[in-house]
Amino acid sequence: MVPVFAIQFWNSPEGAVPMSDNPGSPAKSKGLTRREVIKAAVAVGGVSASAYLFRGYIFGNQVRRAFGSAPGSMGRLITLNVNGRRRHVDVMPQETLAMTLRYKLGLTGTKLGCDRAECGSCTVLLDDVPHYSCSVLTQTVRNRKILTIEGLAGPDGTLHPVQQGIVEQQGFQCAFCMSGFIMAAIGFLKVNPNPTREELARGVSGNLCRCTDYHKILDALMRGAELSRGASHA
Amino acid sequence: MAIVRESSAIIRDVMPAFELFQPTSIEEALSVLAQYGTDAWVLAGGIDSFDWLKDRIKRPKAVVDLGRIRELRGVRELAGGGVEIRAMTTLTDVVLHPAIRKSFKLLADAAESAASPQIRNQGTIGGNVSQDTRCWYYRSGFPCYRAGGNICYADTPYGMNREHAILGAARCVAVSPSDSAPAMVALEAKMLVRNSNGERAVNAEDYFIGPGFDITRMTVLKQGDILTAIRIPSAWANASFYFEKISDRPVWDFPIVNIAAAKVISGGKIRRIRLVVNGVAAHPWRLRQVEEAVTGQPADEQTGARAGELAIADAVPLQHNGFKLPLMRNLVKRAICATPA
Amino acid sequence: MPDSKQEGTAAQVPLVTADTPADKSKLVGQNYVTPDLFAKVTGQAKYAEDFRAEGMLFAKLLLSPYPHARILEIDASQALAMPGVRAVLTMKDLPPPADYMTDLGVLIKANPLGERGLAMEPLYQGEPIAAVAAVDELTAADAVEKIRVTYEPLPFVIDPLASLRPGGPNARVEGNVWGVLGPEAPVGAKRTTPVPEVREIKWTEEDFRGYDEGKMPTGTPTGEWSYGDVEGGFKNAALVLDESFQTPNTSHECLETRTSMAYWQGGKLHLFGSTQSTSQTVPAIARWMNMKPEDVVLVSEYTGGGYGSKVTSSVHLIIPAMLSKKCHAPVMMRITREDENYIGRARPSLTGRMKAGFGPDGRLLALDMFVVADNGPYDEVHDTYISGQIVSLLYQPVAMRWRGISVLTNTPPRSPQSSPGGLQGITLMEPVLAKAARRLKIDLLAIHRINAPEGKAPLGPAVDGKRAHATGCFMKEALDQGARRFQWEERRKANSGKRNGSKIRGVGVSSSSFKSGSKGFDGLFVIQPDGKMYVQSGIGNLGTEDFSDVHRVAAEMVGMPWEKVVVTWGDTSKHLPWTCISGGSQTAHAMTRAAYAAAMDAIGKLQQIAAKDHGGRPENYEVRNERVYRQGGGPVMTLAHAAQRAIALGGVYDGHELPKDINPMTVRSAKALAGRGLMGVARDNYRQDGTVFSFVASFAEVEIDVETGTYKIVDFLAVADAGRVIHPAAIGGQILGRSMLGIGHAIGQKWVFDQHLGLPVARRFYQTKPPTILDAPARMDWAALNIPDPEGPVGAKGIGEPPVPGGCCAILNAISDALGDDIFRRAPVTLDMILTSLENGHPVISGLAADI
Repeated sequence: MVPVFAIQFWNSPEGAVPMSDNPGSPAKSKGLTRREVIKAAVAVGGVSASAYLFRGYIFGNQVRRAFGSAPGSMGRLITLNVNGRRRHVDVMPQETLAMTLRYKLGLTGTKLGCDRAECGSCTVLLDDVPHYSCSVLTQTVRNRKILTIEGLAGPDGTLHPVQQGIVEQQGFQCAFCMSGFIMAAIGFLKVNPNPTREELARGVSGNLCRCTDYHKILDALMRGAELSRGASHA
Repeated sequence: MAIVRESSAIIRDVMPAFELFQPTSIEEALSVLAQYGTDAWVLAGGIDSFDWLKDRIKRPKAVVDLGRIRELRGVRELAGGGVEIRAMTTLTDVVLHPAIRKSFKLLADAAESAASPQIRNQGTIGGNVSQDTRCWYYRSGFPCYRAGGNICYADTPYGMNREHAILGAARCVAVSPSDSAPAMVALEAKMLVRNSNGERAVNAEDYFIGPGFDITRMTVLKQGDILTAIRIPSAWANASFYFEKISDRPVWDFPIVNIAAAKVISGGKIRRIRLVVNGVAAHPWRLRQVEEAVTGQPADEQTGARAGELAIADAVPLQHNGFKLPLMRNLVKRAICATPA
Repeated sequence: MPDSKQEGTAAQVPLVTADTPADKSKLVGQNYVTPDLFAKVTGQAKYAEDFRAEGMLFAKLLLSPYPHARILEIDASQALAMPGVRAVLTMKDLPPPADYMTDLGVLIKANPLGERGLAMEPLYQGEPIAAVAAVDELTAADAVEKIRVTYEPLPFVIDPLASLRPGGPNARVEGNVWGVLGPEAPVGAKRTTPVPEVREIKWTEEDFRGYDEGKMPTGTPTGEWSYGDVEGGFKNAALVLDESFQTPNTSHECLETRTSMAYWQGGKLHLFGSTQSTSQTVPAIARWMNMKPEDVVLVSEYTGGGYGSKVTSSVHLIIPAMLSKKCHAPVMMRITREDENYIGRARPSLTGRMKAGFGPDGRLLALDMFVVADNGPYDEVHDTYISGQIVSLLYQPVAMRWRGISVLTNTPPRSPQSSPGGLQGITLMEPVLAKAARRLKIDLLAIHRINAPEGKAPLGPAVDGKRAHATGCFMKEALDQGARRFQWEERRKANSGKRNGSKIRGVGVSSSSFKSGSKGFDGLFVIQPDGKMYVQSGIGNLGTEDFSDVHRVAAEMVGMPWEKVVVTWGDTSKHLPWTCISGGSQTAHAMTRAAYAAAMDAIGKLQQIAAKDHGGRPENYEVRNERVYRQGGGPVMTLAHAAQRAIALGGVYDGHELPKDINPMTVRSAKALAGRGLMGVARDNYRQDGTVFSFVASFAEVEIDVETGTYKIVDFLAVADAGRVIHPAAIGGQILGRSMLGIGHAIGQKWVFDQHLGLPVARRFYQTKPPTILDAPARMDWAALNIPDPEGPVGAKGIGEPPVPGGCCAILNAISDALGDDIFRRAPVTLDMILTSLENGHPVISGLAADI
């Protein structure tokens, strides 16, 4: 086997990647231009087919077992609704949603911090409700609306108000926990759009930050809540 | 001569392969369970299950996900003032349900104290009451009594047992980690258990079992059984309730001790009371003697203090959990004399 | 928020708070949107596990089930026979330990007993023994289970004091302590460090007398220093206290585990890792791999937390690198949380005996400090030594003796963690100070004030007759500002010990300090003809924002608007300069100096170019507002034009000729960038009288429920002396974020081991208890003094460390303010300790065993 040593910045083929062309955008100084992003996406090609997970098992005896004929047993080729798009994907029975998102759909904004439903870094919304995607079997969310961090910004790069609140307040430090916090906060704000600081803290209390920047995180999320109320996000 | 052992390594994480079944009816689920017997694993919200699977300690061939069975979801108000909660109802739905909030706030408070928002959004009431113990030796895969071995690692002179039992220990000193289970016992809930022979109702008090009854299980559920619903009778509807959970962290932590009390007070005196403590034994610990002793007594500090002492009279601490005695005593006192909010 | 009116000496203090208004005419001291933030909020930021390569394999680790064993055989035949399994790596496949030359020219001899990444004599449960590469993770995990390992279990020890007992077990076959104490043998003085060796120290039964009453035994140390007349100090003291206390072992628990991916291309190793430092990680990897630094490319654009555990590459980076070499394919080693608990590093517990003599006014006249560190099995931690240094600086004891010993244990390896040794030393001292204040009936703030360091305060022992000293200390100013903002006196009067039902309030304060700067590194940037400033940053992006912040100093100096500054970071193939490690809070100080040096270099070149083109002398020109102006009016040259002229002139101007004193890594990078524009490149050679320290005064109010032992922190304030403030939002985040880490040490975070089995039983977050957002104080506030450090051209100081002990000890002191003396003898203070102490009327004597 001759490996191709091309590192692909795996962006979501959604096209919702908010890499703004606005020269004033901070994204510019990060060094990734839209052209490079497109180039990477082209190089990736049909990403969801060349899965990184369970490749051995695709060709092993697991296939027969996974397509067993007992009542209720599941097929592996399924369709997911991710960030408003239908995605066809080959999913093993024991595969978690976090792994499918990260390794098959290229949505690496969802982080794995503990893989044990403890830290919240993998939080995504299922039908608007925050879940730990490390502890959800992908097979069980076939009919659910899945929203990840990559699905928040508009096609023109306009940030979601909660993202905007963080930018304004320089919320978070290393930011590994950030996408999980954002998703948990957005899910909570759908139920309680006008929370007190303490209520919002409870709303995102299923998320850990090890920079323990909790105070500034709450400043940023409270600002995000305020911007959300002002925005006409349907 | 040194002891030489051949051993395989610890490898945690990465769930082993299994076959996944997603039946849409209870009958279908029961038929898969019958087909696979001890090789089957029932999956509710999955919060407890995935730990066992990811730790590669439990290795079922078939996992039966109950998530697609509609008849296992929802809350129904019963004629006469009770409620029936289907087992796969999420903790969040229990917490938010108007009838539960109105008549059985005790249960809403207990369910809301569990774990974290995301877990309450996914974890089910059936799973929360039926979850396995969190004894760290047992959960680490040690071959202890509960795991079918012949030792309790927590109850040795070196055992780390701060979180363990002070009541009802029998070889095993693990405790029930459930927050909602004591509320179920306090509210005299009936647990509906179904298997291929039909459905039976089990009193919550009998549903949870100790190591003296069966050291390998926390509930009466056996292979092939499914908890389908929990029925809360009207007996304690709108009673005076008290729930308090003491844990090291205010979120995502199991109770060190929690207490659920339902009281009917009139003329300043306790007319009826159910008092249940958890985190102190392998099952929610109902304080029958205390209930009897305080019935007819004023709901005041003095009664509370006496009740607290009585509650811990039979408690036996381990090396590291003596503090659970004053903690339980003080919580019982508070539960007795707390004025309804 | 109190108003900003200031009185007395405080009036000179230019406080920066969260509410300080912005000054848009400046960069330094102003908030801005950092260049990484947009990628972070949109999920586009790539951490190590987010990279993919075609044909990428997955690695899984086989971990030791024993706390100490000798491996007799590893039989991987069944694993290798599995379809999809590509390779199994063991210690014999790894490069041997190599000597290492520092950039100061000191030869660090390889440690033959050091950590190797994979072990044949595992020294703790969970130590990696083998790694499997397979086409997918499930196959790799299944293959790990098929490897048969034959072990000969060996004696082990979890508790350092147990190892010091006569006949106690040793963690290693060779003994229980290192033979050479690192920091005591001044590395700079010798050109070669000795080869480390392990030896055995046992104390006597007599030394252990009093152990059962909770007194820490003291015996032969491995390090010792003193100054002043300690015995005389005790004789003159109005109060002598003799206290034993223990701080916890705490894992760093970075949310991003140390996952890494590696591949080889054209003979070069490309590593995608999670590391705090960028430039400095390259030689570290090269050393582990026995390679030349120029053959290593490191990509680490975003790092999900480090706190000292990822200062440079962890040794385990070499596993995917070696597997990739073996398999001729890229290898991703996804480190799970379980793996991370074992290999992810931790702060060592210190058990301390503090004998302290106080004058009637609370002045610390004499201190006799003895610390025992729980070292873990590998390289000696320096927390023992640092704990003594920090205590000697922060409380300025008139006379002091320090003794210490780091005892090897069969527990996961340690590393520095935010305020290494500082957290432990201060946490050993603060309860003593609080008790002394109560005994002497002195206000808790007053006893901190009277012992606070000032000016060029001395620290540590005399070396060659001279004690080291700080560049400047503004501890008193921080205490005073904090007292004012926290309304200390009013609050103590109103709330201290106030009871409401079962709840009691307590109010506490703590001092804190840590080293916060280094020097001698390089700055590098190019102003190109497009008028933009391209800054090369070798600083790691671990969340402190230093990787960008420090360059605002240079941008402001050359009059460049921030919109025209492009910062390149996180990829060593992109020509980065030699940079300090991004750890120990060195960066803000060290790299603002380097940025200043590079900017001065560029300004000089701009002046020369202007003088060449427009006449006059270089010093007649000044650089501001994107232009070079002639003083008193005259011709003006834009920076864009000057950049073109620099290219035309060549030589020093565009980087074709370089300063002689810059590091070889900077030389390589500058050569690659030569000819692109006007280059600012220089080494920081500014002199500095003393060592840089930052200071924090921390204040807390707690409410304790005496019926349950639970408590809440109702208010918290930290006021920092962190030099000139570069980026207020970032410094505020550091002050309160790191305070919260310290608070975690006070309220719950720790290890739990079964001493008999030698195994950690607390392995999950719900068991090791890192603080949650609901543990955070109901109110939190910060302020920074904004007094530039007296030494150095910029005056910025680091702030990542000293908030940690301050946060911890403000809580501890508030608890003892509410409940009185002797409630706790170890941190964290958990509800069981409070309940048991209150129930028994004294603290539980559980000995001083570690990790219970």
